[in-house]
Amino acid sequence: MSQPPATRRRVFAAAALTLAVIAPLAACAPGGEASDGPVELTFQTWVPNIDKAVDAFNEEHDDIHVTVEAIAAGPDGGYAKMLSAVAAGNPADVAHVGYDELATFLLNDALTDITEYAADDADKFTDWQWKTGVFNDKVYGIPQASGPVGQFYRKDVLDSLGLSAPATWDEYYEAAKVIHASDPNKYIAAFAANQAPWLMALAQQAGQPWFEAGDDSWSVAIDNPDTLRMAEFWQKLLDEDLVKVEADMSNEWYTDIKSGNVASWMSGSWAAAIISGNAPETSGLWAAAEMPQWVAGEHVSASWGGGASNVVLKGSKHPKEATEFALWMNGTPASASTLTSIGAGWPALEDKSEITALTDDPETFEFFGGQNIWDTFAVADDNVDRSWQWPPLVDTLYATLTDNVKAAVENKTPLTGAFEKTQDDMVKAMEDKGIAVAE
Amino acid sequence: MTSITRSTARRKPLKQRLTLTVLLVPFVLFFAAFFVLPIGYAIVDSLFTVRSSGLGFGAPEKVFVFFENYARALATPSFVESIGRVLLFAVIEVPLMVVFSLVLALLLESGKAHFPRVFRVIYFMPYGVPGVIASLLWGFLYVPSTSPVLQILSNFGLDFTPLGGDSVLFAIANIALWGFAGYNMLIIVASLKSVPGELYEAARIDGAGEFAIIRHIKLPLLRPTVVLVTVFTIIGTLQLFVEPLVLKPLTTAINSDFTPNLAAYNQAFAQSNPNLAAAMAVIVALIAFVFSFGFLKLVNRKGNRAW
Repeated sequence: MSQPPATRRRVFAAAALTLAVIAPLAACAPGGEASDGPVELTFQTWVPNIDKAVDAFNEEHDDIHVTVEAIAAGPDGGYAKMLSAVAAGNPADVAHVGYDELATFLLNDALTDITEYAADDADKFTDWQWKTGVFNDKVYGIPQASGPVGQFYRKDVLDSLGLSAPATWDEYYEAAKVIHASDPNKYIAAFAANQAPWLMALAQQAGQPWFEAGDDSWSVAIDNPDTLRMAEFWQKLLDEDLVKVEADMSNEWYTDIKSGNVASWMSGSWAAAIISGNAPETSGLWAAAEMPQWVAGEHVSASWGGGASNVVLKGSKHPKEATEFALWMNGTPASASTLTSIGAGWPALEDKSEITALTDDPETFEFFGGQNIWDTFAVADDNVDRSWQWPPLVDTLYATLTDNVKAAVENKTPLTGAFEKTQDDMVKAMEDKGIAVAE
Repeated sequence: MTSITRSTARRKPLKQRLTLTVLLVPFVLFFAAFFVLPIGYAIVDSLFTVRSSGLGFGAPEKVFVFFENYARALATPSFVESIGRVLLFAVIEVPLMVVFSLVLALLLESGKAHFPRVFRVIYFMPYGVPGVIASLLWGFLYVPSTSPVLQILSNFGLDFTPLGGDSVLFAIANIALWGFAGYNMLIIVASLKSVPGELYEAARIDGAGEFAIIRHIKLPLLRPTVVLVTVFTIIGTLQLFVEPLVLKPLTTAINSDFTPNLAAYNQAFAQSNPNLAAAMAVIVALIAFVFSFGFLKLVNRKGNRAW
């Protein structure tokens, strides 16, 4: 008869211990809703200094309080973190998501439809940037800024060789030859096989877009004639050793742009802040120009990964307030000006007359030898090809594209083949996922 | 009376069992929560996939697909290549690691080494450097424009590209060797320390030289330790991950599916396909399992020992 109590005691002890172990874990779970006080929102972003804009919002609003949660840049793990949190049912309210990534987030069912809260504000934003957040006539993102691409170049290096910024791709090739001939360590640019948005900006500017959403299926044309022409151009530069095969934004690349061994960088407008931040000693030696053109006299441009928007993640308990915050931060001139000054990119706000950071930016202009580089990027942004669309599974596209281009460079196989293989890989990946692809 | 003795006789084992339970519960609980459960979760996950339809703008659905993810993983050329690559890497790395750490340990414990304790610590120190940091450091040394070593060699007309396609596996093997040889050496040293000194004495009296002592006393006694080190190294090499991940941006020779673990990581965290990633992870685990137990079986055959 003595056994049952002992067993019970044992079970009790085990249960108590279990509780003791689990209780602290449970304490980590998010707390309940506060009944009073402002609505608390979290905002996941990797843009440095963006808390300036958020603080301004918090100061003006008593009913909403936003906390910034700094995370790794999207492609470096930030997106994975957001998607995992959505899957776990515990997401941030507002998140920083690139235009290129929106369709992929939608594919993962990670975005909240905010049409009812946001649709009325559509006119505030540049049309093409607004439309990057609209799918099936529903609004899923508030545009923040785009990354119109231009050339940043070392004016001192080009000047010393009697060169000016190449206006066409033919001039680019000739300039590349002069630069490399002057010093075998010097190159006009790095060939960044690691950088999918760079490769895609080159393809976007070349002409035909890669993806187009039809009524019920996608057409995919990564191996289109325009892209292959672009690939053949860079093949020529690679074959003649006129570009340096090197990852951009890597340590060796930073060393090279400081020394002038890599004399230019084709990148988004926000790259001005990256260059001045990482190579402060080269202040005054830089200038910016539009992308070289395929047809002389045109102004065709492209965007680096599109740009960035603020979305309300699926599972947020306050979609209305979250949308209000996103609209305020990106849709009021003062806030857009703050964002521009911290290097968020080219503002999505349609009326840029009140964005003082674009006209009154002495530090940036000084770094670029007194040039108002924002004039250049205003032209670039106006001429970004509007028909370019970002597909779902964009991460698969980035991974296969860079893998294939790297392999072509490594094995010295034709660059055109890399784009052809990416076409096959991407169509297969989309079909595997159940997405309809038109033949 | 009989009932009392019986109950006192029983109380003790009962108390012991209670103690045992209390001591075991935390371990079992955490083992279950952080080891068994995730493995089970990964296996279950690997049997599902997330499917969309049309343009992919609607909510996707999770469907049970049985072994389709496994079939897809094994039908992906880059994943199969990555398995071949780590096997090749193991062929390079495992013998290097075992021989190198064994030689280091034997030298330090030969009784003729100067400052053996100091050198033991020095050799072990790289193990204290986290893999990511070690790979970053070596990354600097491997890239010509940031590497003082390569720059000096280049002045003598010797141009090396350690991260080129032909040499990148050796470059990674070097990092792994640098990081783990000291650790494995320490395991072997510990084992050597437990060899009773009389054995050496007896051998010397019998006229054995240093090499004979190594051959006939040290190596046979080290056998279980060396087997252990080998199994650890096999598992470690098949799970190669950090070094190629960190070196990837520095070279065109490392793609996102360079090793099976990297491929799984890429699927899970870059391409948001955790189901395929789970299948890949299970395949890697199975391969590591087969190779480590295959090796143990090979060296433990009764009466037919390798040495």
